[in-house]
Amino acid sequence: MSDSPVSMHNPGNDAPAEAPAAPDAAAQKQMEQAYAQMKRKMAMAEIGKKIKHKIMVLSGKGGVGKSTVSTGLALALAQQGHKVGILDIDITGPNVPKMMGLDGRKLHVEGGRIHPAQGHLGVKVISMAFLLEDEDTPVVWRGPIKLGAIQQFIGDVEWGSLDYLIIDFPPGTSDEPLTVAQSLPDIDGMVIVTTPQDVALLDSRKSITFASSLKVPVLGVVENMSGYTIQGKGTPGSEFEIAAPAGRTLRATCDDDGRFSVTLDIFKEGGGKSTAEEFGVPFLGALPFDPGFVRGGDDGVHRIVSEPDGASASAFSHVVASIQSQLDGASSSSLEII
Amino acid sequence: MAEDVLELRRLERRDTDMELTYEDGTTFTVSYDDLRHACPCAKCAPLRNEDETSMQLRRTIEAHPQQKPLVRTVGNYALSFEWESGCSSGIYRFERIWDLAHRRDPDRGRPYVHGAW
Repeated sequence: MSDSPVSMHNPGNDAPAEAPAAPDAAAQKQMEQAYAQMKRKMAMAEIGKKIKHKIMVLSGKGGVGKSTVSTGLALALAQQGHKVGILDIDITGPNVPKMMGLDGRKLHVEGGRIHPAQGHLGVKVISMAFLLEDEDTPVVWRGPIKLGAIQQFIGDVEWGSLDYLIIDFPPGTSDEPLTVAQSLPDIDGMVIVTTPQDVALLDSRKSITFASSLKVPVLGVVENMSGYTIQGKGTPGSEFEIAAPAGRTLRATCDDDGRFSVTLDIFKEGGGKSTAEEFGVPFLGALPFDPGFVRGGDDGVHRIVSEPDGASASAFSHVVASIQSQLDGASSSSLEII
Repeated sequence: MAEDVLELRRLERRDTDMELTYEDGTTFTVSYDDLRHACPCAKCAPLRNEDETSMQLRRTIEAHPQQKPLVRTVGNYALSFEWESGCSSGIYRFERIWDLAHRRDPDRGRPYVHGAW
């Protein structure tokens, strides 16, 4: 007896019932694909149940630090003791593995299931980068092939039980988030990453509207590269004038130890918060402009790992707390509402 | 210099207004009509830029039946108000509510332009 889950019936065929015409090779292939697709859909539903929280990280514009935020959120959650995975859906420009110290690693496949690589703090990572022969090879795929790869990344990966799955997308509002939103059940929501500049904010507004059209809640907006803090030493009590962007002058006074600290708003100030308020979505927090992220990303040692008590790690903890309060439906406010 | 905003400790929803109690024990009332007219969302805020549209917004709000809103905290920095009819999109920072409590224009006279004041 055939193992095929699909039976063929041809009403126009006059041949005796006991000798049905064998399906041609193309039809057979189509059936096998349909069967594989069905199995994958069932696997995706099953995987959805084993992962408590699924969070999409998007931005309208490229270069705002989406992967930095995704990896930062994952590591900040892992620091709290949660089991965390990152799914790097950026098929054409995957860079999560490099940031997680997994450059050049290959995935382990067993029993037809893909096993994720494990990066810092035990965070599980799946990325297209693991499948590339060398990092200079571009992935040139049209929509349907990308769609299939994404579904395979969701359905064929053995994540095990996770508390959080962070899904990092390429910029924009195209196929990838649409496919994930339709394939993975019970997504908790989207985190929109922006920088405080008009172009990024404009694109973030598109992402927020896009989330609404996908019926995926927006957990909130994160403003990245929010301000750069410079620190120095001088004579105690002495004053400095610092030429800041946009023609502004900032003043700093050295404290009793001779130390001073000034934060420069390299782009603008407060744009992420305004965008969040404009669209009625929560503002999750601002992350400082930290050159250590660039060095850490290149070296494969994330800033949160190299400086777990630093300002950036602290800012990420704040963002994570805001996300968790959204997911738990709890509030950190002591306000009594009657 | 920015004014220190005290922490809001209690919000009591009454029939036509809300009573706010701050950390130093002082209480203020803000009418629901004033609250709704100060909505910071992208649809309502630009209407306050012109006197005529601002008055029209006020008339629209006053035409709604008086009702207690559902109040939710947004993170730890703002409140949102859900009404049975009309706009419920606005997220009111505590600073904005503080201004309303003190009978001050929360827009500080600035016109709303492209997503911000």
